[in-house]
Amino acid sequence: MGMLSIRLKRNFLGLLKFLNSMNWFIIFFSLINLSMCIYEDQIGKFDWRQTYVGRIKFSHFDTVSTAKKIIVATEENVLAALNLKTGQVVWRHVFENASPGDIQLLHYSDGEKVTTVTGSNPYLVRGWDPATGVLLWEWPISIIDNERAHLSEWWVQNGMLVHLLPAFGSHLEVTMYNLMTGANRGVTSKLPAVWTNDGCILTPPYYTCISGSMGNYMILSLDVTSNAVQIISKPLSNYFGEKEVIEGNLRSLDGKNVLPGFIIDDKKVLLIKNNEFEQLYIKLAEDSTVTLVDAMNELTLIQASSDEHKGFALSAYNIATGKEIMDLRITEPSLHIPEPEILEIVCINTAREQPACRILINGADDALHLMQQGGRIIWSREEALANIVAVEFVDLPVSETDAALESEFDQKEGSVWAAFVRRLYTQYQQLQTLLQNWQGEGLEADSPTALVRDYFNLHKIIVLITDVGKIYGMDNLSGEILWHRYDGNLNTESVVMFTRRTARHPPHDAYITIIGKHEETGNGYIISLNPIRGTLVGERALQLDVRLQQVALLHVADSEKLYALVLLDEDETVQVFPVSAAPLVRDLYMYVADRDTGKMQGYTLRYNGKQVIAQRTWSLNLGGTGARIVTIAGKSRNERVHSAGKPLADRSVLYKYSNPNLVLVLLERPDPIHKDVVTAVAVDGACGAVVAASTHRRARALPLAVHADNTIAYLYRSDKHRRLEIATMELYEGKERWLSAGTQFSSFACARAPSVERQAYILPGALTALAFTTTERAITDTHLLLALSTGKILELPWSFVEPRRPLSPTGEHREEGLIPYAPEVPLPSEASLNYNQTTHRVRAIYAAPSGLESTSLVLATGLDIFYTRVAPSKTFDLLKDDFDYHLITIVLGALIVASYSTKYFASRKMLKQAWK
Amino acid sequence: MNRNILTVIIPIVFAKFVLCTVHTGSAQPLFEDEVGVERYIVEGRVFPPEPNEASNWQIDTRIHINGGEYIGFVKNDGSFTVHNVPSGSYVVEIVHPDYMYEPVRVEINSKGKIRARKVNYIQTSQVIQVPYPLKMKSGSRCKYFQAREQWRVTDFLFNPMVIMMVLPLFLIMILPKMMNDPETKEDLKQISNMTKMSDFPEMSEYITAMFSGGAKPSASKAKQVKKRQ
Repeated sequence: MGMLSIRLKRNFLGLLKFLNSMNWFIIFFSLINLSMCIYEDQIGKFDWRQTYVGRIKFSHFDTVSTAKKIIVATEENVLAALNLKTGQVVWRHVFENASPGDIQLLHYSDGEKVTTVTGSNPYLVRGWDPATGVLLWEWPISIIDNERAHLSEWWVQNGMLVHLLPAFGSHLEVTMYNLMTGANRGVTSKLPAVWTNDGCILTPPYYTCISGSMGNYMILSLDVTSNAVQIISKPLSNYFGEKEVIEGNLRSLDGKNVLPGFIIDDKKVLLIKNNEFEQLYIKLAEDSTVTLVDAMNELTLIQASSDEHKGFALSAYNIATGKEIMDLRITEPSLHIPEPEILEIVCINTAREQPACRILINGADDALHLMQQGGRIIWSREEALANIVAVEFVDLPVSETDAALESEFDQKEGSVWAAFVRRLYTQYQQLQTLLQNWQGEGLEADSPTALVRDYFNLHKIIVLITDVGKIYGMDNLSGEILWHRYDGNLNTESVVMFTRRTARHPPHDAYITIIGKHEETGNGYIISLNPIRGTLVGERALQLDVRLQQVALLHVADSEKLYALVLLDEDETVQVFPVSAAPLVRDLYMYVADRDTGKMQGYTLRYNGKQVIAQRTWSLNLGGTGARIVTIAGKSRNERVHSAGKPLADRSVLYKYSNPNLVLVLLERPDPIHKDVVTAVAVDGACGAVVAASTHRRARALPLAVHADNTIAYLYRSDKHRRLEIATMELYEGKERWLSAGTQFSSFACARAPSVERQAYILPGALTALAFTTTERAITDTHLLLALSTGKILELPWSFVEPRRPLSPTGEHREEGLIPYAPEVPLPSEASLNYNQTTHRVRAIYAAPSGLESTSLVLATGLDIFYTRVAPSKTFDLLKDDFDYHLITIVLGALIVASYSTKYFASRKMLKQAWK
Repeated sequence: MNRNILTVIIPIVFAKFVLCTVHTGSAQPLFEDEVGVERYIVEGRVFPPEPNEASNWQIDTRIHINGGEYIGFVKNDGSFTVHNVPSGSYVVEIVHPDYMYEPVRVEINSKGKIRARKVNYIQTSQVIQVPYPLKMKSGSRCKYFQAREQWRVTDFLFNPMVIMMVLPLFLIMILPKMMNDPETKEDLKQISNMTKMSDFPEMSEYITAMFSGGAKPSASKAKQVKKRQ
């Protein structure tokens, strides 16, 4: 006490000042908080996940269990149970992506078990509990004859798994196994069958072929499981008219059939009944899907087809009488299912003599529909979304009143008075809308017209292109599909998408262009859309008559604010869309890289008065002989960097090398000494100069590389150490600027090489996708987004993999905030963006800037879709979502009351004192 | 090369999983690139994260070998078998959305001999064996969320801002009384002068001024008169 009182006595005010300065320190330290995971109550607030299973390969209704469902097996190697009423996934198993996961057979025996056969020699037989999805048993089969193993046919009969292996023109090998244990019932029986060929089909247990020479066809069928070899054979001409040309194409009926049956030449339907062929005299519609079901205890043939004009049509015929059953007839002109395929039909006989049917239909656009009789769709699943190949975030247009406000500032001409009148008029309009909102007319805003930009531009439309050629427009906040468009002609193998005009230029609409290949010819195919409504605009769907090499957008917009499309053809001629924009082409450079040889070719494009011509300017042969390009990472077209460098501890600035033309090329080449060598080269795409490079021996490259601003990161597998490593590079100009501030960077003016910082780190895990977060001005930190094979999406701060992490940290490093080097990068579960919502097989992560500098929008695609938003440097430009408005109001109110009441009491006291 | 590395003594900390430590050192070259046609199985058992886990954890648990190159599933009793694996070196991970399991490296040599060891990405030649068939126990529950700060009185009181306000108040009000010192009183006077609420408008005055308009001077005069008394 003594010491303290002496100090206090000396200088009371000084102490107060000291305490005040301490305050700032405390505030400063409380701001530094390195953890960045979300709060538990934020689940689903900014994020959503959609789970998919892929295009259906096999399906089975499970109407026996209490919870009715559909068991499906898909092309994406997924086994799942879907709720019959809602179509939601009840349980799901994701198998291997490659051949060990291929599903060969799905069998469901009533209410007990689901059996799958997966793989491609060796095969694996597994039994599953249909209610919970838990594995019951599994046993492997390997077939000795590996050459023919892919011809294997599997089915289940009387609790036995039957395997049929045909040797065309010779014999059939049939083996039966105990379904549960895999015990072989004895021997493989070889059935002599010289009449078999590769056009044969299996309709268990019959194996059917059309054999013989043209004009003399025989149809032969064999029950391969019966003990006695009994071949049914008939001349095919028995079923055709005299003058009909018989081609001899055989296909089986779709769906699950009550009796084995098949269609010849898409015209005649044959059934096998009591070991005899039976022809059905029912006329088949063109391109129809045909199945045989048991409806109302009568055999019924159902055929369905879809026409662009007439819509979807389904008809049912009684086999015994040949008459159409009108109860089951569906004609739905508004419904369009491209190339429908009936997967299964289940009809339950009700007391009212009217069958209640559930029809499961698969479309060519990978959509799965469950329909009931009468044509009402109970639910649909857009399974094309399990295979997304390209993504673009599109801004929404501003609302009408905002647009009017903005147009006010566009009009620069006119006197002050005109501007004043405009100002008054817009304010009057604003007042009107405000009043309308008060009168409750604002309720209409929930209609589709509410697709307007919000204040922070967080609400966008995501345009998704799927592998099958279906294009979707999705609301990013809810994940709801706003529009979709299927184009069977679009081959999406190396599809690209450009936003050619944003919605910022009213009265012009937003404009997006998709460039792919034509499905049949392989020529260029262009689709131009309005991304907000999904309608075709401009070039619409245009098929070019030439194959394309490279596509770019022009860097200047034309008078309609539209960026022209510049296409480089295979024969090095250039096309510009729209043609009127051709004179704008100048200073445009392109490069073409050959994936298999590692060659790069640079072009200069210019307008010569008549047309745009491409000139070869440079060529590079990267990576040496035998090298192959694994991936190329360029910069995002929309990247804008508003930070020129990094401040160092000595108050100087380390300036970034910000070359917008820089491209990272990742190559792999076999090497006689080091097995595989991975080379990463940073090339200037305009002049062909190699800016930085590094090689890794005994390593295999992964197609995961990212490049933004002056940073580069890529992954490779170190074969020597059997681990995954991430290599990072940063390019710097140095402590002095090469160009004065504000000068545009030119690839041709810079002969100097930047200094390259590089480092490699170990990643403890298997990665499937890699991306950078992007923000509007790149002032916020960039974080890496990693998708792990375990289904987690992690956010990793760049400072953990920064190449400038020092091995032996000095005081300066500490002041700058660099973390000392550690070989292994931590991947904590706190960094997981999708918490326990596993997203399987993430193929790509896309990040897009929002209107807030702090926030980046993230979409991960793969089998599932996951959307969230991240704030790498925390939401510094936004109040926290748990900001306590009530508390601050109460405190403020209480302070005002207290101050006035004390004032009152003080004056009273003073009055009393004065009377004394 | 191997000699040097193998002199590393394996610390006893890891003894939980150690059955025996191998000192032969031939581990790494032995298992490389001898991928034969023979297929083997990797088997083991996953123990439920909590002894009486209510939900069926089996459906959410998957076994990933080399990041999903081969995938296995768990039966009701927790046992798993991954079939059709060729010889080689693999990292076996147990994937569960809510629980963490430590991965294990399983090595199958060309003769089909299988051994399991701890995964060490940094010292790749260090061998710490773990029992095979694998026994996978959950380390802990994954922590995905940050705890939301709750409003508590202690938090409020120990808030630096509040302390900043209360402490000077204490010093100003209580301490000078404790030490009746003229010098400190002088200081205090100075402070109270600073914080005087003289420029704070009186509510009643304000309102009367607003309604009566020109009556302002008289009101202030009245006040002055009061003060003079």
